[in-house]
Amino acid sequence: MNKNEPPILEVRNVSIRFGGVAALTRVSLSIWPGEVVALVGDNGAGKSTLVKTISGIQSPDEGEILVSGAALSLKSPHDANAAGIQTVYQDLAICDNLDTVQNLFLGREYYHPWYKGRRLDRAGMEARAKEVLANLDVKIRDINVPANSLSGGQRQSVAICRSILTDPRVVLLDEPTAALGVAQRKQVLNLIERLRAQGRAVIVISHDLGDVQQVADRVVVLRLGNKVAEVSRGSYTREELVGAITGMISNEEMAALSRREGVSHV
Amino acid sequence: MSKQLSAFTTFANPAPQETPKMKLDAVLGALATRYRMLPVLLALVLIWAYFAWANPLFLSPRNLSNLSLQIVTTGIVALGLMFVLVIGEIDLSVAATGAVSAAITAGMAVNQGFDTVTAVAVGLLIGAAIGCVQGLVITYFRAPAFIVTLGTSLILQGILLDLLPASSNLISLVGQPLGKVATIYLPGLVSVALLAVVIALGLVFSLQSYAAKKRNALPASFLWSVVAPAVSLAIVGTVVIAVFSSYRGVPLLVAFLLGLLGFFAYVTTQTRFGVYLYAIGANAEAARRAGISVKFLRVTAFTLTGIFAALGGMIAAGRVLGVSPDSADTTLLLEAIAAAVIGGVSLFGGRGSVWAALTGALVIGSVSNGMLLINASTQTRLEVQGAILTLAVILDAYLSRKANRGR
Repeated sequence: MNKNEPPILEVRNVSIRFGGVAALTRVSLSIWPGEVVALVGDNGAGKSTLVKTISGIQSPDEGEILVSGAALSLKSPHDANAAGIQTVYQDLAICDNLDTVQNLFLGREYYHPWYKGRRLDRAGMEARAKEVLANLDVKIRDINVPANSLSGGQRQSVAICRSILTDPRVVLLDEPTAALGVAQRKQVLNLIERLRAQGRAVIVISHDLGDVQQVADRVVVLRLGNKVAEVSRGSYTREELVGAITGMISNEEMAALSRREGVSHV
Repeated sequence: MSKQLSAFTTFANPAPQETPKMKLDAVLGALATRYRMLPVLLALVLIWAYFAWANPLFLSPRNLSNLSLQIVTTGIVALGLMFVLVIGEIDLSVAATGAVSAAITAGMAVNQGFDTVTAVAVGLLIGAAIGCVQGLVITYFRAPAFIVTLGTSLILQGILLDLLPASSNLISLVGQPLGKVATIYLPGLVSVALLAVVIALGLVFSLQSYAAKKRNALPASFLWSVVAPAVSLAIVGTVVIAVFSSYRGVPLLVAFLLGLLGFFAYVTTQTRFGVYLYAIGANAEAARRAGISVKFLRVTAFTLTGIFAALGGMIAAGRVLGVSPDSADTTLLLEAIAAAVIGGVSLFGGRGSVWAALTGALVIGSVSNGMLLINASTQTRLEVQGAILTLAVILDAYLSRKANRGR
């Protein structure tokens, strides 16, 4: 990670209002390649709104989004994908009746030209699927059986592999470990670490502070639409994090918490 | 709930053993998906064995030829229904759509002197338009398909009465080309040539797949992926042609049905369109996020169903030599839905193959044909058919639950 370069993704002073309610108030966030940033906060803190903004579903009322230092207007998920930003939604990406290969390539299938009957290039997709799964060390016994036979962790892994087929620079994961067992959760956390090792920037939304402490290089805490703290790995305790999320610690304490590793409070 | 449960099991038992129950679940899961055809084929064998034992005439070439002609309409309408069932919708207007299209086609051909091809083309367009409008209403007004298509069915039954001449309430197809189509049988040589073409096409596709697998360094068996399918197709085809030829030959309509099934088997399994239909049936939101135009495909599925309903209606009219208010009665609708479900198309969406239309229609058709042969009363016939449909739905619900529980 080289902080002299512009961040791969920068959210600058973004505000969003729904009617009279301020969902986000001048929130800023930067992420560099090879970094995992966790986004935490209580329900209604603005995490989902921020993710929607970055993935192009919601346009900000104020502020801007920069990719590699250049301001972009993300008007649709398609624009975000084109800018190298992929979002993985919790358990929404998998079709139970399709097999692993079909799920990985859904909407992006390889197919032969019209004179070969526009037939799907099954072998080509299968070979590429094996490659992608092996790259991220995801083990699936048979990629030709319907996804209903996969475990929750495998399903989440397939969803994540699906997002990196286009080789994005930024991956957003919405609650990737929710509702997973211990072993499966470990599987997904390892996957996140491999995404980081590949030099991608990863933004993780999570309610699980244990996961956050384990995997995140930085943690951004949102509360009622404001960014209240940003802390670096190892510079905080779980209690302090809970305090920041719930507002149980004062603003001064929070500012001090954010300064501990020299990261400025915004 | 089930996900939390499985998370809990993993926690309590980090290294799960393969218990007999888990194996049973895996087998049931496979039966619900890849081997969904097995229970249907087994049922078919049992039904045929019973009727052959009760009346040897059942397996005579003449009766099998009749039986195969009897199921063509059901098979075609069931094939059309499969498209809406796979995306998790339903169309209750197929019988009425078919009757109205047939009435328009027959009216054009008989009363207005259009040539048959034009009349049939207009009839198919009418069916497509009816399906398309229903699809648009269901997609854009988010109205439940069940009620929209039921309402359309009533409207179409009214329109049918308007279309039929007030005096006789009947358009007769006696002596018309449409009325003769059910009596055309293919000469043996033509049947064999058609079979050879189909086998050759199959070989082209399987060789293409085999070569692609080799090129991508994937495991592939020449014997199992190229030789075996071609040989079994040749054997089954030859037996079928031999049976038909010992009566009058392969009925044209039966060859037509098989051709349609083959073409749409390709479309649903080998093209993006097919994969997308199944994806929508399982998880429309995931399909939408994958960039698939869910709305367009929904409307397309309803349009296809309308076209097949029109086709089925015309063939039914040709077989009974006319269009009457009875053409829109619910027997065809119920038998087509029953055929699709018995064949393994899930009413919950996302599962079922094109061949379900054939196997399901064969089950339904064999039962009604066999019951007539053994002089069963109408009561018994209704009871047995109802029981088979109910059993098929119970099996569908049971297997769907099993298939969704593997986590």
